[in-house]
Amino acid sequence: MIDVSGVTKHYGSVRAVEEVSFRVPRGAVVGVLGPNGAGKSTTVRMIAGTVPPTRGSVSVDGLDSVADSEKLRRRLGYLPESNPLYPEMRVVEYLRYRGRLHGLGGREGKRAVDEAIERCWLGEMRRRRIGALSKGYRQRVGLAAALLHDPSVLLLDEPTSGLDPAQIRETRSLIRSLAGDRTALIVSHALAEVEKTCDRLLIFAGGRLRAEGDAEELVSKHGPGNVWDVSVELKNGLTRGELLKRFGAVAGVKSAVERASDGPVGEREKTGSASASGDGDWLDAVVTFTEERADAGERLGAVAASAGLGVRRLGRRAASLEEVYIGLVSSARDDAAARSAGDGVAAGDAAEQQAPEASGAGDRAMEGVS
Amino acid sequence: MRMWSIAGREFASYFRTPVGWVVLALYLLLSGIAFAGTLEPGAPATLRGLFGASQWLLLIVAPAISMRLVSEELRLGSIEPLMASPVGDASIVLGKYLGALGFLVLMLGVTLVHVGVLEAVADPEYGPIATGYLGLLLTGALYLAVGLFFSSLTASQVLAFLLTFCFFFGLHLLSTQGALTLPEPWNEAAYKLSLAARLGDFAKGVLDTAHVVFFVSTSLFFVVLAALALESRRWR
Repeated sequence: MIDVSGVTKHYGSVRAVEEVSFRVPRGAVVGVLGPNGAGKSTTVRMIAGTVPPTRGSVSVDGLDSVADSEKLRRRLGYLPESNPLYPEMRVVEYLRYRGRLHGLGGREGKRAVDEAIERCWLGEMRRRRIGALSKGYRQRVGLAAALLHDPSVLLLDEPTSGLDPAQIRETRSLIRSLAGDRTALIVSHALAEVEKTCDRLLIFAGGRLRAEGDAEELVSKHGPGNVWDVSVELKNGLTRGELLKRFGAVAGVKSAVERASDGPVGEREKTGSASASGDGDWLDAVVTFTEERADAGERLGAVAASAGLGVRRLGRRAASLEEVYIGLVSSARDDAAARSAGDGVAAGDAAEQQAPEASGAGDRAMEGVS
Repeated sequence: MRMWSIAGREFASYFRTPVGWVVLALYLLLSGIAFAGTLEPGAPATLRGLFGASQWLLLIVAPAISMRLVSEELRLGSIEPLMASPVGDASIVLGKYLGALGFLVLMLGVTLVHVGVLEAVADPEYGPIATGYLGLLLTGALYLAVGLFFSSLTASQVLAFLLTFCFFFGLHLLSTQGALTLPEPWNEAAYKLSLAARLGDFAKGVLDTAHVVFFVSTSLFFVVLAALALESRRWR
């Protein structure tokens, strides 16, 4: 289990990580997602014990990252960002060496290395010099080194960076097969990869943890909300405008606009009714409710039924994780802008309180301060 | 065991890259030339020529051995998995130091060939030869310790080399010029810093405990400094 509580890391005046708290339960595979400079790698380094937190604490299986650092490191399998290796060593030499650093010598070490080589499909490369390997193989060497001492916690920072799609797929299934009952934290900025590999996601931006949960939770909590796509027949003398007005009048509806043809996400709503896109007799509308309502679909259906209109489509829009991610990241950027505008004072706390928090993640982030 | 694994890797890595071979070849060539220069009919059968030349050769060779110890890890980023493995910072630094020391011992060991040559052509006195080698080893060990320290400060091997070289070159100037020009008692103190004077005693066959203590303690001092420099990376 990984327990990160109220962790902050400042490098001089640079705030790499601010008040981050989360837990990774035993056996869970959790993805850490975020744009460059979001504080992902710094957080992982603090868990690995190579960087101490400025404030807050990190523990792995109950071992503190500063006080019990060495014991903690025994349980960790760590693949750092950029996967540094010694190019002049042969694969098997390097793995034997990394094994010995974990106290695996002699026959035991040899067996561990052979196993890791087999698991990471490095058999043919075992006598090759690391410097002569392709990036994909090097990545596997890094992975093999991270897991050869059978760690209970895996920290993998960008395990698939620089790999081609086939290799990414292989590595992904390798990670899944390795995970087993291990706790794993996987850093990435490739959403699709993390979504497929991980049970839960942590979304970082601007040094803060913005959101966490599984994909479904994230979408329902941080997605655009209760949004419905409605496609109804236009007849009985009803105009688009009138019909939209009727949808807008339904209890709990925030807005009802005509849907633009397949524009990019987020642009659709903005275009509104001005762009006539319906194919003559149909109105395609996007109806947003202010909150979750169990009877939303029924109410919209009733509008059409009362006017005697046929309904071609009536369905709740499934927001994609990508939209959620982009929304969180851009609101983090707005926060940063607001902070730098209202800042100038060295005391971070005052500035932080001025900055509007993006989401529920902000509330938990503030807990550790007082 | 972990410390010895690191030492082993360091030692072996000198032979995995050309640098180790080049350094070894260069030292053996130049020290061989120096030795050959002292081989004359009627000349005393000693290795003092070799020892005298070696202390200057080591000034170049030792920083070249030590420059990569930590700097290379910093540059490659391999310091990250190393520091994340369950090995103390002191073990990391000590392991690296021992690896480099091993290379030095090997390098000096090869020059024992010269002793064989002396034995073949003359009747050498073994006392001064033994103490001379001890002096050379202790001097080299100090060079390496200081080199290790500078290597732990920077990711640039060139900078680590230059800092080490300048340190000892400065020390040499201070001790020789200082002994001549500084007023009492500073001239005395400056002379105490002279490595050449101490090594001279060893080469003459004088085994002075004060010298041994000086070399061993200053070497350890710089190894500890290097460990602190590495550990400080965890605070930053």
